Amino acid sequence: MTVLLPLLLALGAAPVVLVAGVLGARPAAWASIVMAALACGATLWGRWAGGGALDVAWAPSWGLRLTFALDGLAVLYALLATGIGVAVLLYSARYLPLHLEHQGRPARDAIRFYALIVLFMGAMVGLVMAQDLLLIFVFWDLTAIASYYLIGYDRHKAESRAAALMALLVTGISAVLLLIGLLLLQALYGTFALPAIVERATPGPAQTLAAGLIAAGALVKSAQVPAHFWLPRAMAAPTPVSAYLHSAAMVAAGVFLLGRIYPLLRLSPFLLDLLLVVGLLSMIFGSVLALTRDVLKQILAYSTIAQYGYVVVMLSLGTSAGVVGAAFYVIAHALAKSALFLTAGTVTEVTGEDRLSRLGGQWRGLPVLAAASGVAAAGLGALPLTIGFFKDELFFKAALERGWPFAALATLGAALTLAYVWHFWSGIFLGPLRGEAGRPPLPLVAPIVALGLLVAVGGVAVAPAADLAEAAGRVAFADLQPVEPAYHLDARPENLLALATYALAATIIAARPRWFRLAAATARLGERVGPERWYAAGLVRLNRSSRALLALEVRDLRSRIATVLVPTAVLVAIGLWATPTEGAFRVGRITVTDLPTVLGLLLAAVGALVATVPRRPLTLILALSSVGYSLAAVFAFLGAPDVALVAVLIETILTLLFLGVLALFPAELLKDQAVGPAPRPSLRWRNVGVGLGAGAFAFAVGWATLSQPAAQESVAVQHIRLTPAAHAKDVVTAILADFRGLDTMGEITVIAIALLGIAALLGRRERPMASDERRATSDERASGEEKRRREGR
Amino acid sequence: MTVLTRVIARLLLPSTLITAIAVLVKGYGDVGDGFSAAVIAAFGVLLQYVAFGHRAAARALPLRAMPAVSFAGLLLALLVTFGPVLRGQAPLAHSPAPGADVIYLGTLELHTALVFDLGVFLLVFGFAVGAIDLIAGATDRERGQGPL
Amino acid sequence: MIVLFALVVAILFGTGAYLMLKRDLIRVVAGIILISNAVILFIIAAGLTRGRAPIYPLPEGEPISDPLVQAMALTAIVISFGITALLLSLVYRVYTTRETVDKEDLSLAEAEDERQLEVERRA
Repeated sequence: MTVLLPLLLALGAAPVVLVAGVLGARPAAWASIVMAALACGATLWGRWAGGGALDVAWAPSWGLRLTFALDGLAVLYALLATGIGVAVLLYSARYLPLHLEHQGRPARDAIRFYALIVLFMGAMVGLVMAQDLLLIFVFWDLTAIASYYLIGYDRHKAESRAAALMALLVTGISAVLLLIGLLLLQALYGTFALPAIVERATPGPAQTLAAGLIAAGALVKSAQVPAHFWLPRAMAAPTPVSAYLHSAAMVAAGVFLLGRIYPLLRLSPFLLDLLLVVGLLSMIFGSVLALTRDVLKQILAYSTIAQYGYVVVMLSLGTSAGVVGAAFYVIAHALAKSALFLTAGTVTEVTGEDRLSRLGGQWRGLPVLAAASGVAAAGLGALPLTIGFFKDELFFKAALERGWPFAALATLGAALTLAYVWHFWSGIFLGPLRGEAGRPPLPLVAPIVALGLLVAVGGVAVAPAADLAEAAGRVAFADLQPVEPAYHLDARPENLLALATYALAATIIAARPRWFRLAAATARLGERVGPERWYAAGLVRLNRSSRALLALEVRDLRSRIATVLVPTAVLVAIGLWATPTEGAFRVGRITVTDLPTVLGLLLAAVGALVATVPRRPLTLILALSSVGYSLAAVFAFLGAPDVALVAVLIETILTLLFLGVLALFPAELLKDQAVGPAPRPSLRWRNVGVGLGAGAFAFAVGWATLSQPAAQESVAVQHIRLTPAAHAKDVVTAILADFRGLDTMGEITVIAIALLGIAALLGRRERPMASDERRATSDERASGEEKRRREGR
Repeated sequence: MTVLTRVIARLLLPSTLITAIAVLVKGYGDVGDGFSAAVIAAFGVLLQYVAFGHRAAARALPLRAMPAVSFAGLLLALLVTFGPVLRGQAPLAHSPAPGADVIYLGTLELHTALVFDLGVFLLVFGFAVGAIDLIAGATDRERGQGPL
Repeated sequence: MIVLFALVVAILFGTGAYLMLKRDLIRVVAGIILISNAVILFIIAAGLTRGRAPIYPLPEGEPISDPLVQAMALTAIVISFGITALLLSLVYRVYTTRETVDKEDLSLAEAEDERQLEVERRA
């Protein structure tokens, strides 16, 4: 129950919102807020009740189970997803109508938005609670799909669509990596259940590879270098989406997964070192780029890359302080970052500007907003009296445990963070007034104030957040040492590093004119040769190769058929040449009782040979059906009455269908085909050659196979023995419907698809453009005909 | 077509269908199964086309429903195939279980394999008649509403 | 019998391949039908035993035909029926849009279309 309630509330939110959407956009907004709040409350209640687990077998014979658990890690991320969700939805309820109004879109479009956000929330809650790798994969993909629609929400803008596609492709790659990794794990340990895998896992190259693939998928999703480029692009989404995506969903899903598989990662020091490098790179690179950006949301996007770099670094340091610190960091970052994103949205909404260079002095018009976002910014910059102070305390502690070089890098990262946070906040609110000043509506400020308050309260009473983080850390790290973040007014190394950070940050801010050009040049270089270029080039390459393939495929169907037949023949020839054949071929005996069979076979052969001669299609069809009927007779003589019956029936109906289709073609066309220009002699001989070759190889393969019947007892004998038990008398029917029924199932599925295909091809609806097309193509055909004649002669 | 053909065609339709059903239900005891039964039944319908023309046949028979019949068959077969999985058995585990008692209806033994075969029958019947109908419809359009 | 089966399979397959290389699509379909027939005959010929039909009550002391290959052949026949019907309607659809069933005409028309598209894209 403690598991089921939050899960059902979160997953059921999207349908509820859609139903409420029938009444209009406003009820849908309220429904989404209420559902998110209920899910948040249910998660809190679940934590209070001590968590729990849910395990339902839904296809036990295939080992498929629905297993969920509300453990520490799940509680943390579920609270973020639902809690930040409430704030974001409250904000959206006012923001989105304005957003749609600016774009001249109907207000009803907002319903889809709310439904998608809560779907995103549901996917996150499901992901964090899932204990089964397959379920994790399903919810992982669901977050990608929801984010695709949300990023591309402004679908009339090409930029949005491209950003959405990029996010989907890049995170889709992450899903593929995850899938390969989890299949490897399943192959290694024989189960998809994560707790069982953790129990059975032993260090080894295969285990490292599997965990590494999953970690790689997680890093891509968390926008770590070098797969970071999709995140700044995704800023094309409406601001609430960005706020949610960055703080509590999607990007957070990546580091969540790292936490979830942390026991597996720990088995390989090499993987942890690799993660450390990626995390450090993302941290430094993201921070430097954030300092050079001008567009508000871009600063925050690069900041997210850097901040999740911190989390990855902390996890990969592999100490208690690191693991608890990572969880704590996610909480602090989510609160501060969502507040800052919403601030950017409100400022842009009020002033109409989205660049730092055109903003300034806004504290005059927006004092409350300035204060609330100032607290949030201080939280992100890790100033004392905010929750952020403790995130850096734990960060320094973990780095120090590893050694001084790491502590130095940590200090640099923290100083850069403080610098760009100052750059962001002071650029908007301080200095001379730039941009229009205005009054924002209350709902565009209240969620930010609430989030700012949480950041401040967390700075005074750290225990609730620390408990959450410690419970989450305990899932990843069974032998966890308690780490209690607190203020210590003494000269311990963490405090000294914090002071060093403030000093360094002040220097960076003061020396801005000196390093700015260098940093901007680095950013430009990154854009010119960075991974985003590889992505674009990869797309172009892919397009080009698919076009080349199409050209190859369409240009000449006959060459294509020949290219299938000839390599097959070569392969068969190699096989025949490499196999010892002495005594392998048997001729077999023909007795008097076989005579009818022989006769039928000969008739079929004659019919097939005749079919190559005629010019008139009618004769061709008759020759074909004579082949079919002769074969049916052969089947009957061979003791296969079921096959013979079906063969006769199908041959008849096929002949009729063939005739029916022929009746659709005008007589002139068929005559034209029959008489038409004779093919060039070289082509004719090529065809005869290919036909003879194909026949020869079919003969070789057929003879070789038929000469070597399987030595052991046939499965058929078993089938025959089992038939009475299966309540049947006809063994063939029993095989079709029972013993090998899955084959039949596949077969009738093919038939159903073929029917769909025929209906699509011959359906009653004529396509409106068909007549134009026809006219155009007949002109082309005339010119083509002429061209061919010229070439032929 | 002569009147005689039409009368015979009309008379033959029920008897073809009965033959098809016989082949279907006797499939487990004798030659024949869902496929052959379906094709035999399709012949009955094809005969109506030949005798009365597409339009008249389409008026007399529920041809529009053929794709639906087909997919109902597919669903039925899927249900029999994957239903047991939900109960923790192998796919296509028929009931009653092997060797267990079955209910006899005359000499016909009732069990779920028969339902599976019925699904196959519906699907192939829907396919064959649907294909015939679509091609005949295309012919009508080609020839300007004339019968086949 | 073994050689004879192999020989007939080979003839069906060879003539099918020859027809598939012909210019008009109707013969391509005919070629595919012949190749399917070759495969079905091959499957049946691969049966380990030949004799009476495998239907209970089984004859005492007499061999019975291998039921497994029969089931597979049945499946193959029905699938090839479905595929052939689909191919026939595809050929007809090609005819209604292009007014030809000649492969060379079709590839010329395709190339022309591609060129036109390219021109439009440039413009």
